[in-house]
Amino acid sequence: MDTLQTLLLAFIGIVIVNNLVLTKFLGTCPYLGVSGRIDMAFGMGCAVTFVVTLAGTLTWLIDHLFLIPYSLEVMRYLCFIMVIAGAVQLVEMYMRKFFPTLYESFGIFLPLITTNCAILGLCLFLNLWSIDSLVHAVVLSIGAGVGFTLAICIMAGIRENLELADVPEAMQGAPITLVTAGLLSLAFMGFAGMI
Amino acid sequence: MMEWIQQIWPAALLAVGLASLFALILLIASIKLHVQVDSKVEQVHKALPGIDCGACGFAGCASYAKAVVANPELIGRCTPGGADVSAAIGQILNLQISSGGAPQRPIVHCRARREDKLFYAEYSGIESCTSANAQPDVQACHFGCLGFGDCVRACKFDALHIVDGLSTVDYHRCTGCGACAKACPRNLIRMVPFTHENMMTVACSSRENGKTTRSFCQVGCIGCGICSKQSELFTVSDNLATLDYAAYTPSEATQRAMDKCPTGVIVYRGKTAPPPRQPKSTASASAT
Repeated sequence: MDTLQTLLLAFIGIVIVNNLVLTKFLGTCPYLGVSGRIDMAFGMGCAVTFVVTLAGTLTWLIDHLFLIPYSLEVMRYLCFIMVIAGAVQLVEMYMRKFFPTLYESFGIFLPLITTNCAILGLCLFLNLWSIDSLVHAVVLSIGAGVGFTLAICIMAGIRENLELADVPEAMQGAPITLVTAGLLSLAFMGFAGMI
Repeated sequence: MMEWIQQIWPAALLAVGLASLFALILLIASIKLHVQVDSKVEQVHKALPGIDCGACGFAGCASYAKAVVANPELIGRCTPGGADVSAAIGQILNLQISSGGAPQRPIVHCRARREDKLFYAEYSGIESCTSANAQPDVQACHFGCLGFGDCVRACKFDALHIVDGLSTVDYHRCTGCGACAKACPRNLIRMVPFTHENMMTVACSSRENGKTTRSFCQVGCIGCGICSKQSELFTVSDNLATLDYAAYTPSEATQRAMDKCPTGVIVYRGKTAPPPRQPKSTASASAT
């Protein structure tokens, strides 16, 4: 019961309170790049969730099975990015086979998940926060993906409505998007200290 | 030296081991999740110009390649590639392709610069032809070039410029994709088969009668019919002379028609076109 509560709190914590995008400012590239339309944003969120779950779990295992026992911590970045790149390739092949339309609409952003710093960030956070059980690591990984999906979908919803708004010429495009992102993360700062 | 190797081998082994493991997984995945791509589609894609201009009506060269393999009737939609690309696609698909005729290039059917025509008032709205065209009296001529450059923005090859308020095609850069013809709200720009390097054209679209056209434009077609008397390639209907582009060949008759045109609206357009001449009686025109 106690562990269940810890896991639940960890999940809510990483989705809302410590949201990687809105409070840690990681993964901002796809957050601004693919948040034009809600359906694409949701697809991107799902792809990132899959990759981050796979990568978080695998890197935790590699960290605890190889790196820490043999004190090879310096190899962390290299091994982690290798896992992420492999997972992204796997997702790409899978998507090309089973969701060709989604694959085509993503274009370059799908391989770019490799360089999404939210994923590498989460893998490194798992070590930084000294998560010592596999279940905890898996829950945090899924939570990070869900948090990313939440953030990018909220952003896409706002931007879809922003299309209809009368934005001053100097603020059109990137500036208003960045202002929106700032206000959104300001709102999420309000959750700080909830858990 | 040996000490250095002894320190590094666990790290190297780990890196190589992990890399080989992932390579193996990806290899298996690439065999299991292999997507069969028609080799013809890839070949056609290679034969296309790869500029994704959209002249064919598809999103880009990749989707056109896919469509043309599925349905060979679509051969010849690639205007920038022209006859060469059509022939290459025909060879890949094992089809006999006719040459497809002369390349299509746009001609702006207006020659009035800003000082040639009459304006009632200065337009100060949104700087685009489409919105200016919604104003009935943005300029006296309801047919002529508005000069706000919707065609310039549509052109991906920097082949169109507004010169003295008139859209002007740079035929050295033009690929004939037809984006400008679609962009022009007044349909002044039409795609014409360029059978010669320079094409003769009646550079006007005004269907007002001669007197009215005269009242607002020095260089408009007044529908007098002098050209049609010189050469049967010209026909006058709705107060506007038109040239049969498909049948056009330079001859004495067409040159005579050009020389005798009172407003000088018959001009050459093309890579080495001479500048248009002045109308014969500028004094009678009241445009300011």
